[in-house]
Amino acid sequence: MIRLAFRNLFQNKARLLISVGGVALALLLILALDAVFAGVERQITDYIQHSGADVWVSQEDVRNMHMASSSLPDSVARRVKSMPGIEAVTPIHYLTNNIVAGDERSLAYIIGLPEGASLGGPWQISSGSALPGKEEVIMDRNVAEKSGVGLGDEVQILGEDFKVAGLSEGTSSLVNSVAFISARDFEDLRRNYDSFSFLLVKVEPGDSPQAVAARIEAQVRDVTAQTTDEFAEQERKVVKDMSTDVITIMNAIGFLIGLAVMALTVYTSTLARRREYGMLKALGADNRDLYLTVLAQAFSSVALGFTFGLIVTLVLSLLIPMSGSNLELEVSSSSLLKLSAVSVVIAAFSAMLPIRQIAGLDPAMVFRGR
Amino acid sequence: MTNASLSIQGETLEIAHVTKRYGSGPTEVTAVRDVSLSVMPGEVVLIMGPSGSGKTTLLSMLGALLKPTEGSIRLNGVDLSGLAENRLPDIRLRQFGFVFQDFNLLSALNVVENVAIVAELAGLRSGAARRKAAALLTELGLGERLHFLPEKLSGGEKQRVAIARALVNEPALILADEPTANLDSKIGQEIIRLLRKIAKGQGRSVIIVSHDQRIRDFADRVLWLQDGQFQEAPEAAVDTFRPTPMQDTTQLSSEWKGQDHYSVR
Repeated sequence: MIRLAFRNLFQNKARLLISVGGVALALLLILALDAVFAGVERQITDYIQHSGADVWVSQEDVRNMHMASSSLPDSVARRVKSMPGIEAVTPIHYLTNNIVAGDERSLAYIIGLPEGASLGGPWQISSGSALPGKEEVIMDRNVAEKSGVGLGDEVQILGEDFKVAGLSEGTSSLVNSVAFISARDFEDLRRNYDSFSFLLVKVEPGDSPQAVAARIEAQVRDVTAQTTDEFAEQERKVVKDMSTDVITIMNAIGFLIGLAVMALTVYTSTLARRREYGMLKALGADNRDLYLTVLAQAFSSVALGFTFGLIVTLVLSLLIPMSGSNLELEVSSSSLLKLSAVSVVIAAFSAMLPIRQIAGLDPAMVFRGR
Repeated sequence: MTNASLSIQGETLEIAHVTKRYGSGPTEVTAVRDVSLSVMPGEVVLIMGPSGSGKTTLLSMLGALLKPTEGSIRLNGVDLSGLAENRLPDIRLRQFGFVFQDFNLLSALNVVENVAIVAELAGLRSGAARRKAAALLTELGLGERLHFLPEKLSGGEKQRVAIARALVNEPALILADEPTANLDSKIGQEIIRLLRKIAKGQGRSVIIVSHDQRIRDFADRVLWLQDGQFQEAPEAAVDTFRPTPMQDTTQLSSEWKGQDHYSVR
């Protein structure tokens, strides 16, 4: 009966193309959206993960960067630096603002770096300086290209002019980019000379970031200390919380489109073969044999659609970065698992109506064209 | 045919006082009324009658596709009318062979697969089922057509595939519903000869329901069904009820010319 299912499936090429194509598009919608958000989650934590820090110290209860503000007094840096197990600390300033180049405005995390900072700077430079001097900015190469600026050109940050002194790689995402100016310039812009935003901590070899973070929280008042991984996870959580509704709605739309396409094609396919199924019943085929045929057709179509959708997504994930876009598609194992479950549900549900139709078939219909 | 002949002992099929009514109250219709019939192994019975006479209902009951309202239908001693619905598919699969007016082949499967699938349903493994189907089809002159799709076959070839499908599980009874209706006269007669050869050579009973006057000479008995009852046939339709000529099998069988005989499209 499985052979019959496959032969039925491949006999009508147009119907097969519609069902597989429809399901592939629906699953592609789900998978690509997941991949986009997974890519954004990774991109948005790139700065945190590449900061070189083992522990991030912030104002109490501030647990991430995105849409957050943290302010720590200078004394915190001194206090933490004097603690055992600490190899290095770097206080950084941070705010979210626009980099303005002519008519182009691009949102960026503006990071204020102290002179000679060992942590928190750009991790890959394509050209120019790695650390900003006075009235200099190091900005993302992609953003610079899109804004039409290069090394030596001027951009505006918080109304002040900065010369592009370096171009960094991997510092832009779909949402924003990261730009680096000197801590002194940042303090002048904000007229704030006795505080900073985050303290980046490098732990001495042999000590664990978790233990150091716990020690900092125990010994320094009004701060939150998290390992880099914990801090990044909190950042991802913010993105997830912001995108959950969108993903849920789009997933539901994808699911419904896939279900509608599959249900319609499996139903019409069964309807077209109603007489053949009736004949098989008359010859003595058990209802279960016929259900198996319909289920095999539905599952095969969905499996083909799944494969096709996955291939397209993987190809897109390779092609899109080559086009110079900040968009990154990342196919995660959890997304594949979710898609597999969605596919199984689509296949099973789409087979239900045809199965009911077969169950109600009168095998005596085979006589005299009834 | 390679199959061993069935032993000829008692009736293959015996129906006694079978009635089938549809609906109830003022809308009640009696399609078949108090019909009795015995069919011996190897016997070819032709049932004729005008449209609306109850032939389809009777055929459906004979094929265990429909339960009678009253009366009993026994196949090889087993009372089919007393069996639970869920046991009937297996009875149909193993005890009945069906030949239909429209051939009813599965359009997506090739010739050998169309036959083998019925053997597989009866529990034969795929390879064995295909070998059995291929052997049967070759005997019926379709050895060169095993991998053709039904759409590539002539009407006569399609009906021979259907006959092979009906035979593959070695049934006791073959029910043929208008088997010549979609065939020209010559091919139709060849199909009926083939059914008769199977009946006589293998001892399987064959019941044919047909309007085709040209095939009545191939039947051992011709029955006329009208208004749901067996009646004396009108002269223009059937000459007479003939006795069972079991002895003429050799002569009729010898008329079968095998593959070449069926090369006509």
